Amino acid sequence: MLTPLTFVGDEHALLQALRDGHPGAAAVFYDQHAAHVSRTLRSALGADEEIPDLLQEVFIRAIDGIGKLREIDRIGGWLTTIAIFVARAQIRRRARRSWLRTFSPEHAGPQHLIQPSSEARAALREVYDVLGQIPVDERMAFALRYIEGMTLPDAAEACETSLATLKRRLSRAEKRFLEAASKRPVLEHWLQEGTRWNVQKRS
Amino acid sequence: MERPEAKLAEFGSAVREALAAETETAEEIRQARAGFLHEFAARHGAHAGWGHRGTANRWRILLLAGATVAGAVALWTYTDRPISFQVDASGAPGKTGDLVYGAPQGLVPLRFSEGSSVILHESTRLRVLATDPRGARMLIEDGTVDASIVSARIGKKHWNFEAGPFQVQVTGTRFTLSYRALDQSFALATHEGQVVVSGACLDAPTPVAAGSRIDLTCLARRAPPTQTASLSALPLPGHASADPVASSGKPTRNAQTWRELLATGRLQEAVHAAERADFDRVCQTAGAKDLLALADAARLFARPSRAVTALRVLRQRFPSSAEASTAAFALGRIAFEQKRAYPEAVDWFATYLREQPSGPLHGDCVGRLMEARLRAGDQSGAHLDAEQYLRRFPEGPYASEARGILAK
Repeated sequence: MLTPLTFVGDEHALLQALRDGHPGAAAVFYDQHAAHVSRTLRSALGADEEIPDLLQEVFIRAIDGIGKLREIDRIGGWLTTIAIFVARAQIRRRARRSWLRTFSPEHAGPQHLIQPSSEARAALREVYDVLGQIPVDERMAFALRYIEGMTLPDAAEACETSLATLKRRLSRAEKRFLEAASKRPVLEHWLQEGTRWNVQKRS
Repeated sequence: MERPEAKLAEFGSAVREALAAETETAEEIRQARAGFLHEFAARHGAHAGWGHRGTANRWRILLLAGATVAGAVALWTYTDRPISFQVDASGAPGKTGDLVYGAPQGLVPLRFSEGSSVILHESTRLRVLATDPRGARMLIEDGTVDASIVSARIGKKHWNFEAGPFQVQVTGTRFTLSYRALDQSFALATHEGQVVVSGACLDAPTPVAAGSRIDLTCLARRAPPTQTASLSALPLPGHASADPVASSGKPTRNAQTWRELLATGRLQEAVHAAERADFDRVCQTAGAKDLLALADAARLFARPSRAVTALRVLRQRFPSSAEASTAAFALGRIAFEQKRAYPEAVDWFATYLREQPSGPLHGDCVGRLMEARLRAGDQSGAHLDAEQYLRRFPEGPYASEARGILAK
């Protein structure tokens, strides 16, 4: 079981310690940003059983590229960018598995799982079914802006694109989403009724 | 006409909230953490070389050679098998990942092969997530435990206790830990040795030495932890934490109604606004969906009596509606989670299933009914529920509990 040495220091010291390979710094780095990265992955992908692996991948990529990061105060946005990159790769993998499932179901591998045993779960499944049909660039713009709640400039930076391009993608995504939602009673109902979701969590 | 952006923003906020409730975020983060730290260590260990660390590395190699010799001598006292454990007096072997319940009355001991023990108080829920030769990783889902972790004869012990957003690192000590999932209240008293508590809302890991206790909650995000030198009997953290709205110093939004606050996801403020507007009167005039939402908000923010009021009024005013059945389910949850009144919980869950035999909450309800019957002492009823659950949801979230019941 891994119990790292404790790291003590400010953010600049943390960045240097990460470059030096201080294990305690890695733990602090992870603990500071894991919740935000996990949330970004979930916003982009929905509830996916591979989120823990993807979360790990984001942080490993971050460590591999830590030498290029010059401004510690931009680390949150930088991690979001990596998370979006990893999420996009996951969407492409899912698309390949979906194709594979058609011809060879036994090789399909892990699937996106939300069991619709509650209203909120059924609606979530619908949301991500619809998002799955939207081109990935537009989907990411939509997920970051509306589900993750990012500002337009932050979302553009995370997608590594200009503000104008992000706005165009977002506009197309909105149209596609609203059109698709109008044909799905559960989503249409929730869009009209607002935020009164019956959110329930197992104890 | 409402702009689509505003509607989508509100919708997106609801999706975010639903995702947070439907996914095991803390568990995802924990799972990834160990893998990441292991990978980090592997990468940096592989790249260590003579280079600028030349002298340090020479000493490391000499020490390593010496340690190898010492390790060979010590090997006869050291086993590299993971620690095993038994549950309660029956001595039944424990399995990592399985849920261990504290009995409604009495204590349930977990005894570990190297001599450590963890005693579960009544109604506590705990899982041993992992074990290795030097320790174990425990998850306290809810309740109180007394832990006695023996010190290692050779090397260091590494025990971790996780409770909600908090983690406790232990090397050899005795302590009592309480965690209440409802309001994320955490309390720890150390009897011997020292532990280190860390968590998402703590600025830094905090040591708690023998004779001290610490009380924390992450719901009041800006409230510092309190640490006292006196060690008293550790009650379950049952008192609501300081109202973050009142203690934050921010002005309350009197201009907005409870309905508006609910609609924008400011749930705790909505409950306060409804109370200011006379909660009973609000319940007599609100619609069924509003009553459900208000009850949910009250339940989430430690106002169970308000939640019960709203739900009972809903059932009186809108009988035979889908919302009335959902209210029955919610009343069952409150009876189970907050009042620990398991026979009452059984009645409410059964009411939902009777009123909505094919309702959207069917699976969840059967699973909870099974748990409530078990806690209420109705083993045969729980057995039937477990069979029913596995027929319909063999891979559902309650499947492992159901199999455990059928195996007994």
